[in-house]
Amino acid sequence: MSPATDPGVVVVGAGMAAVRLAEGLAARGTAVTLLGDEDAPPYNRILLSAVLESACDPSLLDLRPRGSYADAGIDLRPGVRVVEIDRDAREVVLADTARVPYDRLVLATGAIPTLPPVRGLVRPDGTLHPRVHPFRSVADCRRLDAAVPTARRAVVVGGGLLGLQVARALAVRGLAVEVVEGGEHLLRSHVEAPAGAILARDLRRLGTEVYTGARATRLVEGPDGTTLVLDNGAALATDLVVLTAGGRPATALARRAGLEVRRGVVVDEGLTTSDPRVHAIGDCAQHDGVTTGFVPPAWEQAAVLADRLAGGDLTYDGHRPVARLRATDLDVAVLGDPLTAVGDVVEVTNPVVGSHRRLVVRDGRIVAATLVGDLSRVGLITGHYDRGTVLGPAEPAALLAGDRPAAPRVLGDDAEVCTCAGVTAGAVRACRSLEDVRSTTRATTGCGGCADDVRALLASRPLTPSGGTR
Amino acid sequence: MSGTTTHCPYCSLQCGMVLTPGRGGRTLEVTPWEGHPVSEGGLCRKGWTAAGLRGHRERLTTPLLRDRASGELRAVSWDEALDRVADGVRAVQAAHGPDGVAVFGGGGLTNEKAYQLGRFARVALGTSQVDYNGRWCMSSAASASNTAFGIDRGLPFPLADVERADVLVLVGSNLAETMPPAARHLDRCRANGGTVVVVDPRRTATAERADVHLQPVPGTDLALALGVLHEIDARGAVDTAYVAARTTGWEQARAAASGWWPERVERVTGVAADEVRALADLLAGCSAGRGSAVVLTARGAEQHAQGTATVLAWIDVALALGLPGRPHSGYGCLTGQGNGQGGREHGQKADQLPGYRMIDDPAARAHVAAVWGVAPRSLPGPGRSAYELLEALGTDGGPRALLVHGSNVVVSAPHATHVAERLESLDLLVVCDLVMSETAALADVVLPVTQWAEEAGTMTNLEGRVLLRQRAVAPPDGVRSDLEVMAGLAQRLDAPGEWSTDPAVVFAELGRASAGGRADYAGLSHERIAASDGGLFWPCPDAGHPGTPRLFGERFAHPDGRARFVVVEHRGPAEPVDAAYPVHLTTGRVLAQYQSGAQTRRVRDLPDTGPFVELHPMLADRLGAHDGEPVVVTTRRGELKAPARVTSTIRPDTVFVPFHWVGANRLTNDALDPASRMPEFKVCAAAVRA
Repeated sequence: MSPATDPGVVVVGAGMAAVRLAEGLAARGTAVTLLGDEDAPPYNRILLSAVLESACDPSLLDLRPRGSYADAGIDLRPGVRVVEIDRDAREVVLADTARVPYDRLVLATGAIPTLPPVRGLVRPDGTLHPRVHPFRSVADCRRLDAAVPTARRAVVVGGGLLGLQVARALAVRGLAVEVVEGGEHLLRSHVEAPAGAILARDLRRLGTEVYTGARATRLVEGPDGTTLVLDNGAALATDLVVLTAGGRPATALARRAGLEVRRGVVVDEGLTTSDPRVHAIGDCAQHDGVTTGFVPPAWEQAAVLADRLAGGDLTYDGHRPVARLRATDLDVAVLGDPLTAVGDVVEVTNPVVGSHRRLVVRDGRIVAATLVGDLSRVGLITGHYDRGTVLGPAEPAALLAGDRPAAPRVLGDDAEVCTCAGVTAGAVRACRSLEDVRSTTRATTGCGGCADDVRALLASRPLTPSGGTR
Repeated sequence: MSGTTTHCPYCSLQCGMVLTPGRGGRTLEVTPWEGHPVSEGGLCRKGWTAAGLRGHRERLTTPLLRDRASGELRAVSWDEALDRVADGVRAVQAAHGPDGVAVFGGGGLTNEKAYQLGRFARVALGTSQVDYNGRWCMSSAASASNTAFGIDRGLPFPLADVERADVLVLVGSNLAETMPPAARHLDRCRANGGTVVVVDPRRTATAERADVHLQPVPGTDLALALGVLHEIDARGAVDTAYVAARTTGWEQARAAASGWWPERVERVTGVAADEVRALADLLAGCSAGRGSAVVLTARGAEQHAQGTATVLAWIDVALALGLPGRPHSGYGCLTGQGNGQGGREHGQKADQLPGYRMIDDPAARAHVAAVWGVAPRSLPGPGRSAYELLEALGTDGGPRALLVHGSNVVVSAPHATHVAERLESLDLLVVCDLVMSETAALADVVLPVTQWAEEAGTMTNLEGRVLLRQRAVAPPDGVRSDLEVMAGLAQRLDAPGEWSTDPAVVFAELGRASAGGRADYAGLSHERIAASDGGLFWPCPDAGHPGTPRLFGERFAHPDGRARFVVVEHRGPAEPVDAAYPVHLTTGRVLAQYQSGAQTRRVRDLPDTGPFVELHPMLADRLGAHDGEPVVVTTRRGELKAPARVTSTIRPDTVFVPFHWVGANRLTNDALDPASRMPEFKVCAAAVRA
């Protein structure tokens, strides 16, 4: 395979996967064009809920300094919508009928949010109800952010990762928030019922009402404002309705072009679609039956594809997903897929403190895990999971147990108290005062770290009769 | 005060001490130098017992020559030994050219010796092949500081400044064990209301004394720094006025950090996202002069194939907060070896000339050549870095002879088995040392040299404070100083110029050679330092200059006066763990030993435990290992058997081995940092079995 030259690599999409790929290609001297349908320069989607919460400066959203694309050799074209792929001519067709030729085409079209079937959501003219906010793009985020100061109440439709993040962000901003989840518990596509129940309790404790097993059916306008009606009869008066009820891979282009598409655009370990000149990465791609929706695998795919398009032979062999909730005061980590993973389950649920932790272990390896309400060992557990560490039989339980409380320290006469001067507890006990300790043993005169021990030893010293001789 | 004031022979703190000879000079009494501003009367166990080598039966007092037939070393006269070295040098250079002979120095040598060694290599031997063990010390921090600030002085302020910091972050430093008297500054910082943060894979004695301890996976300090930078930026806490006025490169650096949100950092470092946020909160409160904060790195952060990048990432954090140049604030490196600072300034580094001048700079060459009385074009260019030099020994195009001063490379170099093989392949190995170190034991010629109490010279401590080592006793009969060794060889090799053996004279020459350089010592003299209040800080360009305790108040040392943000990328350890080698191995020191232990292991009053393998109870359980019983650590390079120390203070996925004994460095990885050429001592992949 010869490295692509003119007309180079064309990427449909300018999201996180696309930019990572472009940077990788540009660093290897390969010409690359990004066609992004959003007007905003490429941004970091991960940070949107933090921006909404006012916990992140919006200027940090830019993935690169705005003026740096051309300097880096990346031809960035925002606000450009691709309507068709002409595989025979090796061109993509834009909404304005212009055509862009490619040597290699990469689909990085991401996912599009699904609108739940709620009556009144879309008005007769096809536009969204003004109080309804999807939450996917930076434009969505800005629009919602602008609506927050004049709102008092919000309903978040969808109790997944994004829904909980948005719910917490709005609550931190001072709104009265309610969450509506159609499934039987929160985070239903990631965790088991007990974990979901703990999360619901946490949210209620934080002042956010949660309705599970309930679907929003109608949005109605009344004299008191807007009301969202649920299928259980509840009517939630609200100022804002935020839709976070999932998304699906954006595959329409690929499908129309006759590429193999199932849930996502099907790619092999070289991230190549059914057309050897067309590739797909990120949320729109399906590898080994899996679409991900996470940034780390998208970046991994971008790195692999950048290498391959420049003549390398890296392959993508799947990814170990880790979902971390980014929401103030809610602690959730989901490793792998605990709902389907096969293995021995080691589990500690403590409703008293609101924690649920579950490891799925196969052949000594952690293949999935749920950690809710207690992330004290999350780094270590994630490390073992990522590296496929083979654990000992007692280790999974030890990982979920707290550290044993340290035994009270009893210093025998041989115990070294001052490491700087090599002074034992016995030598300190033989002294009469701190001054005596300093002058005869040199303890406390080095780093001073033993001062507390020395004082304690002197204080516990048996009293000797005054004037006593030794 | 009776006795002679001097400084401890070991670490870079250089505690002041007073030496009083007893019983005919065979023994020495050590007492603290009470008023000295660095140590304030404090000493650690190593300092207290430093005189233990005086009159030691293993002290070398006569030159030794290896008999090629029997393989045994025999005592010879100095003349015979030096003749043999000179003959060997001439023979090798006749066959292989000037670069056939190499010189290896050390960060424990005085400034005078380090300077003279660089001059000896370039002028007497004409070789480019000179480097030193400082590459394995703080070289990553040095290259990062040069890049970011345009100058490398470990601490740009006196160490005691940290006592007034609101937040003090130590990344990869265990100073409570490596330089114990410095730990009092942590206690005082806390007593003053400051918060001390320690970043270390082990809960060390230092971490025990901190308010906050973060325990990252070895080799991920860089990702942690990026995460902290990200969070500071996310909070809008960047000191934009400072960044605009005093730095360049911020936009690129922030974009690089924007990809490091705390949950991503958590996955890479093992440090929980909330801990990353908490550290960012602490530091954000000190931004833009609202508070004071200091970030210090040491070997834990620096001894990596990405050591320079790691330090740069923490410097980026400091710059974003507007710390460098503000009172009680900034970034600094805690240098390790006694003269790690001065040793890197005056020309024993492959790429440098005295005064921290670069050897490929024509103006620098002209200046130094004039001081040396030689033609600039006669000076060789840059040579190989320390490990690359050792690796080239005895190979095609590599040196065939090596002169070693103040280093025990067989113990201290990474992938040590390989290094020992290279040494054995030489035509001539000459080692100058006090005792028969593991490296001296391989030598063809062993030359017995003076130790600290027996010589004068200057040492530049971790603060850039130039201190005077004074002679308290005469050396034993048969022992010469390194300066005398070089003078003797220079004369035999017909080297041009004067080769003084008087440290004060050599120091004056060093001053002239350094004049106008970044590390300018021109205004210093032995006399002036002796009369000063506890040493003088460089730069000190003339005799009337008071020295420079604090740098960067007005400008940085780049021509435009600005500091540089540098974009860095986390790549992780050169050798990631895998199924065959599933555990991280890291190395470090214990309080009672120093470096390769050549000195401290021979001091009777210091406990010599031998190597041990520290591991967590969870890992011990997995392996069936028991405290005190042997375990075997294996890497792709070697194997070590040592007793287990089971302790919950270490990460469960990591084992620790101290490097003072033969063995630890047979395991370590020789992957090098691209800028500093620092080997990756602090992390590699290992397997452990009971």
